[in-house]
Amino acid sequence: MGSEIIGTLIVAGILVGIVGAIVASMIKSRKRGEHPACGGNCGNCHGGCSHSL
Amino acid sequence: MGIRIALAGNPNCGKTTLFNALTGSNQFVGNWPGVTVEYKEGKYKSDKEVTIVDLPGIYSLSPYTLEEVVSRNYLIDERPDAIINVIDGTNIERNLYLTTQVVELGIPVVIAINMMDVVEKNGDKINTKKLAEEIGVPVVEISALKNRGLKEVVSAAVAAGKAALPQEPKHRFNGSVEHALAHIEELCLHNISDANIQRWYSIKLFERDEKIQEKLGLSKDVIDHIEQDITSCEKEMDDDAESIITGERYNYIGTIISGCVKKANRGMTISDKIDRIVTNRILALPIFAVVMFIVYYISVTTVGTYATDWANDGVFGDGWHLFAIGSKDYNDASEEFTGNQLIVDGYDLYVEENGTEPTGDFEYPVEDEETLKVDYETASLEDYAAAKAYLEKNEEPDPAEYGVWVPGVPVLVEKGLDALHCNDILKALILDGIVAGVGAVLGFVPQILVLFIFLAFLEACGYMARVAFIMDRIFRKFGLSGKSFIPMLIGSGCGIPGIMASRTIENDRDRKMTIMTTTFIPCGAKLPFIGMVAGAIFGGAPWVAPCAYFLGIFAIVVSGIMLKKTKLFAGDPAPFVMELPAYHWPTVSNVLRSMWERGWSFIKKAGTIILLSTIVIWFLTFFGFTSDGFRMLEEDEISSSILAKIGGAIAWIFAPLGFGNWEATVASFTGLVAKENIVGTLGIIYGASGDVYQTMANAFTSASGMAFLAFNLLCAPCFAAMGAIKREMNSAKWFWTAIGYQCIFAWVIGLICYQIGSLILAGSFGVGTVFGFLAIAVLIYGLFRRDKYKN
Repeated sequence: MGSEIIGTLIVAGILVGIVGAIVASMIKSRKRGEHPACGGNCGNCHGGCSHSL
Repeated sequence: MGIRIALAGNPNCGKTTLFNALTGSNQFVGNWPGVTVEYKEGKYKSDKEVTIVDLPGIYSLSPYTLEEVVSRNYLIDERPDAIINVIDGTNIERNLYLTTQVVELGIPVVIAINMMDVVEKNGDKINTKKLAEEIGVPVVEISALKNRGLKEVVSAAVAAGKAALPQEPKHRFNGSVEHALAHIEELCLHNISDANIQRWYSIKLFERDEKIQEKLGLSKDVIDHIEQDITSCEKEMDDDAESIITGERYNYIGTIISGCVKKANRGMTISDKIDRIVTNRILALPIFAVVMFIVYYISVTTVGTYATDWANDGVFGDGWHLFAIGSKDYNDASEEFTGNQLIVDGYDLYVEENGTEPTGDFEYPVEDEETLKVDYETASLEDYAAAKAYLEKNEEPDPAEYGVWVPGVPVLVEKGLDALHCNDILKALILDGIVAGVGAVLGFVPQILVLFIFLAFLEACGYMARVAFIMDRIFRKFGLSGKSFIPMLIGSGCGIPGIMASRTIENDRDRKMTIMTTTFIPCGAKLPFIGMVAGAIFGGAPWVAPCAYFLGIFAIVVSGIMLKKTKLFAGDPAPFVMELPAYHWPTVSNVLRSMWERGWSFIKKAGTIILLSTIVIWFLTFFGFTSDGFRMLEEDEISSSILAKIGGAIAWIFAPLGFGNWEATVASFTGLVAKENIVGTLGIIYGASGDVYQTMANAFTSASGMAFLAFNLLCAPCFAAMGAIKREMNSAKWFWTAIGYQCIFAWVIGLICYQIGSLILAGSFGVGTVFGFLAIAVLIYGLFRRDKYKN
């Protein structure tokens, strides 16, 4: 039972970390003017998602 | 102190290629005008003090197009330290027209004659030394593609910029014009702080450039005074001011060319010969259709499928044999085992159904893995005995015994979670949600990369430029401009740059219509969905993927014709000028880089927005209210999930289209976040019932599958693209008009696909069929009704 809790906490921690990192990167992108659903390939889309180069 | 160097030149002369080579950037390079619609800055690789600015391609410094306005404003207002005027060496005469204007700006200029490798290959000769003397600016031979002369041209521009001594233009107009220019300068330009640009302003005022009059804030009296000078010159030269200037410039260019350029006397080039066939009035369209069919066939059905099967079944499935060693032996053994198993199961099924053992030959069902079609084969009692004996002696083959077996991601993740004794709910979230959803999307990466290689090749070799030319001929017949097809070409990678590219269309109505229809062309994000529908519902039929592309073109043409006949979009098509570049073999690095740029964008999305979406979708799919209250659901209970309730409430919208079930409904809606999400969502929902493809195949008929495909290809694009539409439309009314039109049009096409498809394939006729025919009638009326707005 104890190992299950520790294992679950580790996995949950990793998952929360990944999700947190993704959300943080998306917020950062948003601040740069990129759309969260954009792959960030500004070279290809001329920064179309942000309209600011 | 930093130096800013602007790259100015005609469209498609190689500015962006030069920019990428100098700065190490990966800006998109296209073989058609309008690829660069805003200026871009980058630091010179060898000296970070030097900033390179890539300007949109222009033919002149007159403000007729958006590109000309952007480039001209930058050069006048920002005043870079130096200009590299990029000239296409194979079209030097036309390119020099801009040069004659650029040298009048009072900014140090260096001419870079690009594509010198092609010039030499053609046997042409350009005397650059003499050219430099004639124009009065340094001239450097370069080849941006082959990295030739790049250091020299930047060094010359840096030196010119640091010296800050603009060259005095050597060209002088006719005496009468010069007289008028001198008057204009004296009248209103002597106060301008930068004396070097006075001549350029005076020429523009002579040409009656209203934007310059406005910029200089000239009073009516001054404008009237200038008008007197212009009119008297026009009378003397018997032509209008703008034509006088243009004519004088071309005369000057003619004298330069005759002394500096020697063209080899050659007949038709290879490009000309190819174009005689490829752009032929009758053959052009069939050739385009065949080319695109081959592209999609190879990408989605053959090469792409092998790789995607490996990705789906291997990397995101059970696993794969390293370097395929042992794979064949294992497959043979597995097939033998499965064959015997089917006979024994068939025997048991016979006993179960008939309550007695067969006395002779019996039939047993065999399902085709690709088409999922169930056939019946016959086995004798001897076959049954042999099969039973085989199964008693042999166990199911273990792939690890036949070679180095690499377990798939789900297997590894599951093992890891088991080793950590992870909670079942968390384990289900990771395996059934994230791994299943993201894996379903990433599994299509090989297909996407193969498609992007082909598109990059077709763009870089010059064929896609011909397609714009071909489509212009066709579009013009329907009152559209070929310019409207450029955004659609660009949109085959991603819809956002396609929408952006519509800025180059001067006619506002045509521009709005192009924005509305650009996303009909399937972008890279829609490819996994096309591949999934083709594989699951149509048994991997090769015609499905090309059909999706041609459906996009059909939708654009039909929409264009219908909308042009309405008051909102009526009007003559905008003129479309483009030159066809010579065919050439693109470099491998350029093609691979273009592929990777687009592919990486797809992968990045899978790791961010798609991953987050799969978590939400998993939660909504596997949690719901039951008689026991709110709890996690078993796999056979997901029809009680939150997602099922939401989807079920709105599924009626799609009932006439044949996919009025909650699964397809929610997949269509999650596709608005990102189109790959359709695949991720179906991967989670249908994965809960076992094999995704099999469950999906059971949920759709061919007709409803085609309606599902058509609707999701043509309806509103992802939120990012919708944002681009909103920005480019710059009006809430127009934005909603565009989204509304796309959704209604997609729904109508879906209705026709399902209702008429069901009538043809299954012979079913009902009220829906009548509405299907009605929808066709409306489309035909929209296409062929009289255009009362046509001049």
